[in-house]
Amino acid sequence: MEIKVNETPIRTSRNFLINNLKLENIELPKKLKSFENVEISELKTKKPSTKKLKYGNGKILEESIFENANSALKIETQNEDIKIKYNFDNENLELVNNIEIIGKENANIYIEYISKTNKPCFHNGLIRTVAKENCKLNIVIINKLNNKTNNFEAIENELHEKSKVNYTIIDIGGKTSVTNYYSNIIGEEANNDLKTIYLGQNNEIKDLNYIAEVRGKKSEIDIDVQGVLDGNCKKNFKGTIDFKKGCKKAKGNENEFCLLLSDKARSIALPMLLCTEEEVEGNHSTASGKVDSKTLFYIMSRGLSYKEAVKLIVKSKFNKIIERIANEEIKEEVLQEIERKLS
Amino acid sequence: MKTKVEDINRNIYDIKNKDEYEFKIEKGLNKKIVEEISKQKNDPDWMREIRLKALETYNKLELPTWGPDLSELKMDNIATYVKPKTELNSSWEDVPEDIKNTFDKLGIPEAEKKSLAGVGAQYDSEVVYHSMKKELLEQGVIYTDMETAVREYPEIVKEHFMKCVPVNDHKFVALHAAVWSGGSFVYVPKGVKLDIPLQSYFRLNSPESGQFEHTLIIVDEGASLHFIEGCSAPKYNKVNLHAGCVELYVKDNAYLRYSTIENWSKNMMNLNTKKAIVGKNAQIDWVTGSFGSKVSMLYPMSILNGENAKTEYTGITFAGKNQNLDTGFKVVHNAKNTSSLVNSKSISKDGGACTYRALVRIGENAQNSKCSVSCESLMLDDISRSDTIPVNDIRTDEVTFSHEAKIGKISDKEIFYLMSRGLSEEDAKAMIVRGFAYPISKELPVEYAVEMNNLINLELEGSIG
Repeated sequence: MEIKVNETPIRTSRNFLINNLKLENIELPKKLKSFENVEISELKTKKPSTKKLKYGNGKILEESIFENANSALKIETQNEDIKIKYNFDNENLELVNNIEIIGKENANIYIEYISKTNKPCFHNGLIRTVAKENCKLNIVIINKLNNKTNNFEAIENELHEKSKVNYTIIDIGGKTSVTNYYSNIIGEEANNDLKTIYLGQNNEIKDLNYIAEVRGKKSEIDIDVQGVLDGNCKKNFKGTIDFKKGCKKAKGNENEFCLLLSDKARSIALPMLLCTEEEVEGNHSTASGKVDSKTLFYIMSRGLSYKEAVKLIVKSKFNKIIERIANEEIKEEVLQEIERKLS
Repeated sequence: MKTKVEDINRNIYDIKNKDEYEFKIEKGLNKKIVEEISKQKNDPDWMREIRLKALETYNKLELPTWGPDLSELKMDNIATYVKPKTELNSSWEDVPEDIKNTFDKLGIPEAEKKSLAGVGAQYDSEVVYHSMKKELLEQGVIYTDMETAVREYPEIVKEHFMKCVPVNDHKFVALHAAVWSGGSFVYVPKGVKLDIPLQSYFRLNSPESGQFEHTLIIVDEGASLHFIEGCSAPKYNKVNLHAGCVELYVKDNAYLRYSTIENWSKNMMNLNTKKAIVGKNAQIDWVTGSFGSKVSMLYPMSILNGENAKTEYTGITFAGKNQNLDTGFKVVHNAKNTSSLVNSKSISKDGGACTYRALVRIGENAQNSKCSVSCESLMLDDISRSDTIPVNDIRTDEVTFSHEAKIGKISDKEIFYLMSRGLSEEDAKAMIVRGFAYPISKELPVEYAVEMNNLINLELEGSIG
């Protein structure tokens, strides 16, 4: 079937090819069996919300989550790390999951999607987070799915007074990887810091649609996206910071940098700033380009091959974001996966 | 207390002449009306065919699904052709008194004497005055109205008319091609460099009507030109429509600077289309000031087809009460070593909405191309709106591309600093806003810079915070 995902909050000309992503031949799983190969550190879970999403990945995928999820979790944070690891294998090829996180106490939360099979897998998920007053959450999402897999993730956050949500998205897997990220920053002095790395190769498609609605006074949103494209990969980055009336003294920054390793790769970026409040500071910047020849020359002059030098540059670009992963074991696995993909 | 920026005094622009005309076509849009316009204009068969095909395209195309609300625009209420009570004149003395007075007050004949190489003046649907310095004529420069060009240079027009901007580009281009009237045709021969600008001024006087002028400029190899266009209209209670079309051909090694000051009245739907095709080592620079109209959708476009082609866009948009100005710039890099530089500013106040909407596309064949975009928006109150919607589409790795945008209010720190140097708060704010607009105003032709300074001749009252 053909589906349309990741609609931008405001449309622009159809000729600009960015209003949404049309995908053909997407087969949604019909009868899902329970996803067994999942490791969860948190055992006390409840039924998550099925409240309609403001944006999300479109009606079809959203209804599929609310009606057919084969993994549904509601977690209340309690000053402990939470780790959820979905291992896709020959017996567990399809995952439709609904995760709700109620942030009451500070916590580090890790959610990983890993292919342990070469077969095509399918993932359609929702992660909904409510950060209560003064709560600090560090959430890390890692996509290490194989290159035959379609991956759809919808993320919705609600930030209350003085809460802080640090989101780190490591998007280095999948044939088609679509992320819809929406933050509703309601509370005064709430802070949402989103950092992403993406790595696209071959004929992969990356579609990132990040939307932050800033409502709280003195609240802040910071989006930093660092990406690398190789082969015939196509990437769309749509980032919107929407300063709503009343968010006085709010700040918003959005930055995307795309490193192009191939002349066949294609990068489209739409960094939007929408503003109906005077007393704000909003900035965005995007940039694209190939590896700096001087840097490359310097590294190669120290004895490294071209491939090794490029790998080093890519890793250094990603490093400041990977460093945010506090769990050393998970961090090391991410580094290894990047190393493997670039080799 | 809030910063208050006054509107421009529109007395000059709001002079209404009596709605007198030789012929006004019935309101609406259908085949009969298009055929009647074609008959009135003595079109050759090929032009009539273009019009009728364009009407078919118009009927097939949908209204844009994005941008400002256009629901107030009802084509059934718009007269698409109004012929003024005069023919084309080459002397201001021959232009009827009331029309001449209007252009006098707008300062056109005076500017012609002082600083222009040629002038065209359009009133409603027809050009009423056209003149160019004799020396340019001797160098082979052609500057005339479009109707004369269709008659006297049919081969050149056929080769270029609606080729840079295809009829099916969007609905209002199709409308334009069906009912176009007036506008300017410029041909600058190879190697001819014009030191002083040509200017066309477009005035729409008739209520509930539309202006659909066509501007076609060909700057041949190694030639250079500065072309200025201005436009205004008095305010009526009902909607007027402007759907002009500008097609620019900048051949190899040529240079064109295209400056526009748009000051339509605030009942105008300004749905204009401008495109330039730029050859090898050639350059097009756009300087645009958008101040008037109720709704604007205007995105000049440079298509850099030749190696080393360059373009610069310098634009300012100023939206006040009841205005929704959706403007920006599009550039397509189609060849190696091409470069583009974009500098856009906008000011929103009194509930006005400014949108910067843009496209940068660097194609597969545009290796070693460079593009740098900067856009800044200033909000002067919290009832206004300012949006930035730029699309950057990069299809090759050998590029240097950067885009920066910022949005905000007048900085308290800057005001504080200037006040510490002895300026009053009002003067400090005025200086900051003028400084914000200065990179654009310095690029404008002198008389328009004055017009813009009038606009931003601020009467600032009170204080921030």
